[in-house]
Order: sequence, then structure tokens, then C-alpha cells
Amino acid sequence: MTIDNTALNNFIRGIKANTPIGLSVFAYGAVLGMICSQKGVEIYHLTLMNVFIFAGTSQFIIVDMWDDLSQIFPIVLAALLINLRYFLIGASLNSLFKNSTIKEKIIYMHLVADENWAVTIERNKHEIITPLFLFGGGVCLFSIWSFGTYTGYLFAGFISDPSLYALDFAFIAIFTALCFNLYQNKTNLIPWTFAAVIAYICEYLFGGNLYIVLGAISGSLVGVLLEKKKYVQQ
Amino acid sequence: MYNNEINALIIIFFVAIGTYGLRISGLLLSSKIANEGKIRIFLDYLPPTLLLSFVTPAILKEGMSGIIAMFLIALCMYKTKNIFASMIIGVVTIAISRNF
Repeated sequence: MTIDNTALNNFIRGIKANTPIGLSVFAYGAVLGMICSQKGVEIYHLTLMNVFIFAGTSQFIIVDMWDDLSQIFPIVLAALLINLRYFLIGASLNSLFKNSTIKEKIIYMHLVADENWAVTIERNKHEIITPLFLFGGGVCLFSIWSFGTYTGYLFAGFISDPSLYALDFAFIAIFTALCFNLYQNKTNLIPWTFAAVIAYICEYLFGGNLYIVLGAISGSLVGVLLEKKKYVQQ
Repeated sequence: MYNNEINALIIIFFVAIGTYGLRISGLLLSSKIANEGKIRIFLDYLPPTLLLSFVTPAILKEGMSGIIAMFLIALCMYKTKNIFASMIIGVVTIAISRNF
């Protein structure tokens, strides 16, 4: 059987593969929309953020600090610190983009979010896919995310507490599932445990969102140290 | 009010530029540096360690039900390889524990 690896096929597969996670993206977006309408954020502000920032958690931070917009620097800094992980996410996509032109990289990278990145990385282990799979996922998530934020904005008064349905846990559940699928062998165990422990401790000590980057860097460094030792022993 | 309007647009502008800058510079830098040896191992470890750093505090915050949900997700993934089914199991476990 030959895998149809045309551009359109990859794009559509990307859309399909990201649809399940869309449920939690919708719920998350709806919550943001509700907060926006409470805080007096105009719908075109929300649209500008959806289109040009397209990073949910940092949008939450901005809206959260909306009461005092004179604090330009602290707001921008807080939002960008949360998005620092996108630097690592970009770096980890190196092998997917190895045959791409600079123009393709520039276009496809804007719609990279946590969700389509995670789905793509996992799929890339088992199937041949192109960056269009990632981009298709991005378009899918962008549509669902925007729809979610507008729904929340318009129906702010009607939606009851979404945390009761544990929809906020949906993307945690999916990330957990994707992570298990990336497991290769016992060498992974120590770096993975390290990442989890460091992330937990940093989150506990500092709060915020920096724990994601700190956990990933320290776990990956431990991985480098361990595998280097293995090379030396051989 | 006029000032607030300008400030809002400035904030959105800089966060947008900065976020895109982080996304694209990560990719461009990683393709510039030699993709072998230590760097290669580091980049290979990034996806799972990022995911784990994401989920661990959130799972532990749910307490015992978070840990049970994680085990059920792992079991479901191992048996079925179905991400959607694993998500449903995780969400239902947490929803039950929050409602009762």
C-alpha cells in the first residue's frame, strides 16, 4: 500500500487528527470569550488576538491584566514568558521541516499551537507526514478556537461552570496519551522523570508558566548526559 | 479611554510579534546548528519532556483522581492506541471525581 502523501491529503489528515482535541480547545476558548465580555474587551480586540497572537494561555494573561492597560511592559513580558516554550516547540520541529523552503517555514509556523504540535510530533513517529499536516491542524484549531471565543463572548451569561464537566482536563488527557506514545525504551525513564519532577517543583515554587520550559530543558539535558555516557561506554 | 485603546493595540502588537518571533526563531536556529550528537539528542528529548512538564502539575493538582486518570489513560493507550478514547476516559474520571 502506498501512502498518498500529497499536499491536500496531508492538510486534510491534519484537520482530522486535530478534531478530537478541538473539544477542549472550544471549551477553553469559550471561557476566554466569557472573561473578555466581563472585562469589557471589544470583540475586535479578541479577533486581533486570535488572528495575530493565536496562543491561548498568553491571551488569558493579557485579558486578565486588562484592567490596567497602562502597564504595557509587564503585560507584554508576562505574555511572552508564557510563550517562551514556543521557541523549544519550534526547535523540536526541525526534522519535520528539513525539506521545506524558508517561505514554507515562515507561513506554516504562525499557526503552531501546543495541540497541533503534539499531535504532529506523535504522528511523525509512525507515518510519513509533511508540514502541511501541522498546518492543517493549525487551521482546524484556529477555526475551533475562534468559534469558541465568540460563543463564550456572546453567551457569557448562559454558560455554567465548564470545570464541572472537566473539559479543562481534556487537553491534559490528550497530552498524556500522546506522551505515552512517544515512549521508546528504558533510557527515556530517567530524563522523563526528571522533567516531570522539575516541572512540578518549579510550578509549586514559582507559579506562573515558566515551569514548562524549565522542566523540558532540564529533562532533555539529563537525556543528553545519559546518552553521552552510553556512547563513551561503547 | 483613548489612551487605553492605543495601549491595547500596542500590547497586542508586541505580543503578536514576540510570539511569532519565538515560534520561527526556534525552528530557524535549530536548522542552522549541526543536527547531530548532543544537539540531536536534546531536540529528540524536547517533545516528551515538554508534554510531561505540561501535564504533571495539572495531574497532581487533581490529587488521587488525577493519578487514577493518568493510569487509565496509559492503559487505554497501551490496549487501543486510540487517543480519543483515552481522552474520554481521562475526562470522565475527572468529571466524576469533581461532581461527587
